[in-house]
Amino acid sequence: MKKGLFAAFAASALVLSGCAASETPAETSSAEETNAVVTGDIRVWINGGDTPQDARDYLKATFESQNPGSTLTLEQQDWGGLVEKLTTNMSGGDSPDVVEIGNTWAPGFTSALAFTDLTEYYDELGGSDLLPGFVDVGSFDGKFYAAPYYSGARLIFYSKADYAAAGVTVPSTLNEFVSNAEKLNAATGNSGIFFPGKDWYNALPYVWESGGDVATVDGGVWDAQLSSPASIRGLEMVKRAMDTSLAAKDGDEAESWVAYCTGKHSMLSAPSWAGGLLVPGDDRPCERAADDLGVFALPGLSGGAAQVFAGGSNIAIPKNSANQELALSALKIMLSPEYQSMLGAIGLVPALTSLGSTLGEGEIPAATAAAAANSKLTPASPNWADVEASGVLQDLFVKIATGSPILVAATAADEAIEAILNK
Amino acid sequence: MIAPATVVLAAIVGWPLINLIIMSTQKYGRAQVFGAAPEFVGLDNFIFILTDDAFWAVFNRSIAFAAVNVVLTMTLGTIVALSMMMMAKGWRILVQLGLLTAWAMPQLTAVIVWGWMFNTDYGVVNYWLSEFFGLDYLGHSWFSQPLSFFAVATLIITWQSVPFVAFTLYAGLTQIPGEVKEASMLDGASGVQRFRNITVPYLRPVFAIVITLQIIWDLRVFTQIYALQGLGGLREQTNTLGVYIYTISLGTGDYGMGGAISIVMVLLMSAMAFYYVRRTLKEVED
Repeated sequence: MKKGLFAAFAASALVLSGCAASETPAETSSAEETNAVVTGDIRVWINGGDTPQDARDYLKATFESQNPGSTLTLEQQDWGGLVEKLTTNMSGGDSPDVVEIGNTWAPGFTSALAFTDLTEYYDELGGSDLLPGFVDVGSFDGKFYAAPYYSGARLIFYSKADYAAAGVTVPSTLNEFVSNAEKLNAATGNSGIFFPGKDWYNALPYVWESGGDVATVDGGVWDAQLSSPASIRGLEMVKRAMDTSLAAKDGDEAESWVAYCTGKHSMLSAPSWAGGLLVPGDDRPCERAADDLGVFALPGLSGGAAQVFAGGSNIAIPKNSANQELALSALKIMLSPEYQSMLGAIGLVPALTSLGSTLGEGEIPAATAAAAANSKLTPASPNWADVEASGVLQDLFVKIATGSPILVAATAADEAIEAILNK
Repeated sequence: MIAPATVVLAAIVGWPLINLIIMSTQKYGRAQVFGAAPEFVGLDNFIFILTDDAFWAVFNRSIAFAAVNVVLTMTLGTIVALSMMMMAKGWRILVQLGLLTAWAMPQLTAVIVWGWMFNTDYGVVNYWLSEFFGLDYLGHSWFSQPLSFFAVATLIITWQSVPFVAFTLYAGLTQIPGEVKEASMLDGASGVQRFRNITVPYLRPVFAIVITLQIIWDLRVFTQIYALQGLGGLREQTNTLGVYIYTISLGTGDYGMGGAISIVMVLLMSAMAFYYVRRTLKEVED
């Protein structure tokens, strides 16, 4: 027994001294205020495939040349289940150093004080040039925590051949759009529009255009609106659109470009940057010809562009990151004009408004500008991230897709949403 | 000799448990995770869940799901173990290899593989059913109906649980003295009689342990259900206790409530395990 105990002590002593040894250089350098360079290995979390490869390479190369001796590792995360994963990882001692978060979740994390205060770097990071709506969601209590990363607009991509076969033209109103989908489905046997049941982002515009909303706030109390008469009219249009879809009724919209490329769907609502994935590529087969792809912004109920979901991301430094200075250095690179231009080049709206021109000319940038001009956000509550994580919206639209009574489903969703928002 | 072990156990099991109990009496949200002071709310969390219909729906669903899975796993496991006794050595090794492979596969991998087989658009199950049996299953969603969702989940879980049961029971079976079996056969006992009057009494302690473990495992099942929910289905209608706790705690950021549900679940499982082990031990004494 004594031997065992001794071994345990020896082992723990070794572990403890190991920790101490690795922490010492960082502590002395900051304590002595010398110019000694802080080095470390930082981890940057980016989500999904939207950040292009050249931007990733640029970030790593620039960071490592600016901070000799340090390394930067990009870790790509799935959007699904990410609120939970971020909460777990950022609360522990092994937090990532820079994280990308969905803009609608930002208030949930900033209000929990999960991020490092970036107020003093606001001007350096871009100041008033930063996307204003994203600065708003990234700020809490007058302090700036999460910087804009990019904004994306959802566009409608369509097959010109299918449009010709069904004898329809680019719609100018939302009703025309839905009836186009029905005609396309009848004429070609394809999905009128690819619309899996869990795709709530693409369903919200119908609700908003019909005069409905997800929730409104009055005197600090949230009132969910999905079962209001106006919202129900919108949900009924969602149902009509979903009925033209061959997509799984309980599937999600992840990698929807793969589905579009099977040639079985006439229209697809997808982020602007996905346009490049809807035509044949070097290592990517696609049943659709390169010149077959058309694009427009989802039309509103009475013409013009519909109010679409303003998707996008913010980036921030977790408070628990062990490499605050290095993380800031990486964050600055990600907001530099060079890096942001690379995002603009693939159709993401850059975080710096002055770089709007990097989107270039052509159909997709024009449609992106039209859609982004009229975009709308989910309820501005710190608890909204919890609503998204609970899956209540996915459940609602899966129920609608599978033919459950809409009013019953919407009423249940309203109850769940109010319970979370008013928690 | 026990002292160091007690200290280690107290540290790695006791400390989190105490924290969990404390947390279950607090309003503990995402802000508290990042350092804000929690507010003490007494038994509010417990009162809320015990009077919440959603909790009881999840609770009953979990019990039913666990019951089906335990019965299926035990039945199949016993059959496999008994047939292994009768197999020639070569066949037995082949079966054991197959069982080991299924058992060794990581749970998440198993769900992804099975999930693909049941995929709505590209799944091989829909393809076979349509191609070879002439049924209209193309584009059929296995996950959108709770019953077929749980049927798939049961298939995956049973498939991965049977090997453990089969191996353990097989090990037990090899310990039954040959003379006893021989004597009973000479006395003209039928197969069923031999199973009931010899095998079961000999294996009672093994059955007790395996069934208790299966009940606990199937009640707290998480990975398979959570991963399947990602592939399809309605979360609200397919949550089991483990997934529900995760959703409430990490999803909706209500750690206090999640802690309270965890404690209710631990009490429930302890009660069941206690009752079952005691009953079995009594039967052994009789």
